[in-house]
Amino acid sequence: MSARFAALLAAVLVVAMLPWLLQTPYWRGILVLCAMNVLLALSLNLVLGYTGQLNLGQSAFFAIGAYVSTILVKTYGWNFWAASLAAVGAAGLLGLALAAFAVRLRGHYLAIASLGFAVITYQVLVNWEKVTEGVRGIYGILPPVGSTIGLFYLVAGIALLVYVLIDNLVRSPVGDTLRAIREDEISAASLGINGALWKAFAFGLGAAIAGLAGCFYPGFVGTLVPDAFNIIESFTMMAMVIVGGMGTMIGPVIGAIVLTFLPEVLREFGEFRLMIYGLALTLVVLFMPGGIVQAWRTLVGKPITGNR
Amino acid sequence: MTYLKAENISKSFGGVHAVLNVSIEVPENSIFALIGPNGAGKSTLLNLLSGIYQPDAGQLYFQGKNLIGLPAHRRVRLGLARTFQKIRLFKQLTLLENVRAGFHVHQNEPFWKYLALGSVGRFDAEARELLDFVGLASRAGERAGALPYGKQRMLEIARALATRPRLFMLDEPAAGLNASEVDFLLDRLTRIGRRGITVVVVEHNMDLVMNVAHRVFVMDHGEPLFEGTPREVQDNPRVIEAYLGGEFAA
Repeated sequence: MSARFAALLAAVLVVAMLPWLLQTPYWRGILVLCAMNVLLALSLNLVLGYTGQLNLGQSAFFAIGAYVSTILVKTYGWNFWAASLAAVGAAGLLGLALAAFAVRLRGHYLAIASLGFAVITYQVLVNWEKVTEGVRGIYGILPPVGSTIGLFYLVAGIALLVYVLIDNLVRSPVGDTLRAIREDEISAASLGINGALWKAFAFGLGAAIAGLAGCFYPGFVGTLVPDAFNIIESFTMMAMVIVGGMGTMIGPVIGAIVLTFLPEVLREFGEFRLMIYGLALTLVVLFMPGGIVQAWRTLVGKPITGNR
Repeated sequence: MTYLKAENISKSFGGVHAVLNVSIEVPENSIFALIGPNGAGKSTLLNLLSGIYQPDAGQLYFQGKNLIGLPAHRRVRLGLARTFQKIRLFKQLTLLENVRAGFHVHQNEPFWKYLALGSVGRFDAEARELLDFVGLASRAGERAGALPYGKQRMLEIARALATRPRLFMLDEPAAGLNASEVDFLLDRLTRIGRRGITVVVVEHNMDLVMNVAHRVFVMDHGEPLFEGTPREVQDNPRVIEAYLGGEFAA
């Protein structure tokens, strides 16, 4: 407990110091994006890493959070926080609705079904112009707090809180249940575990957290267009989880940080930037299938005994 | 008193009768063995009893409650537990995590406590006791998949016991065990029986069956062949014929 508390304290200090280490508006903006990506990676890791469901629809829940909160604020004049609460609820409920069908599917089939959901959501955003403004986009969206530093502290604070809550959850008996389903669903059923119910739970909770990340995105960018939620985003989130180390708590956080900053650091390579990025991804998957966390554990010689 | 009762249950796969018109009555506090040659339908029967499959026809009762239509995970709450012929552990998890997952149906802390406090309400101590019972206490932190085969069988037993069953079904628990491991298993099965848990065991190892079982039910080609005490089964010419082929029967 005290080691965890010390780690949490260190994380809070690092978050507090970051905007003072990176002082330009540009890098402070990247920090906000990074905090959002951490939230997204945490949300997908709960579904993919702990429950073993190949969900490629996470970008859709990110989009639903962004659009529902923005439309409630801009069109209906809601307060940002009330709108966010509704948006998180909407994303969570849609996650549960998708899960109602998806929990019967496994592996590749679930991947295709969830990818289909992301494609449909994207198409709805493009074509339902009366509500979403389609590709024209929604403009002049204000962030919940004025300064970039303030927005970073807000989103990073929420990411920290979500991290602590999920960390508690996966240490609790619920974590045992989810991991059991990931490992072997029939075996889990033989222990009284209702696989469909708990998979839907993870799916819904993951969707709600992705929706939460979505609430902060439009205010940060100032505009909202469907292209921000292209299905590629789902794969980016998956890359964060896998590169960091899925099924561990810290892995996806590291993955999100690395994959947010790597493209920025590589900017000086100009056109080679994305090639290097892609190559790095390929190499990680080929040579460190357990991600950065596993590579680190191997390096320091810590035996890998399950998840904790 | 009859604890578990199956009446004329049948199950076929693609027109092949895996189990045909089987009726069994397992008395409370007994060790009940299911034997028969390969392909006799023993594992299918166990899958029907535990709810992995639903029968095409017939009735199933446990303590007078109808089990038909009840999925496997719901039957566990009534007190039914099982192990698998082909070991199905959570291989990437530790031994302790495997057994802890078995306590799922006994978790009763409110959800907010899990979110706020984490490891609260975990059955760590009880899980270690069960690991101790199967002789694996010293390896609690190891990955289940790294255990030798025989130890994996014992871990699966500990995990199933975590559900606190009233009726425990084991599918060929001695398969792949060496002689000393079989002796250990035999001793543990007897102790499980003495704890007041009714045991249904599918087994090929005749030594084990003859030593622990009170009743033996013999199946062949999906159909019941004979039922009796171990002694009666050993002496029954039809059973010997089914196992060894016609020419050996007296």
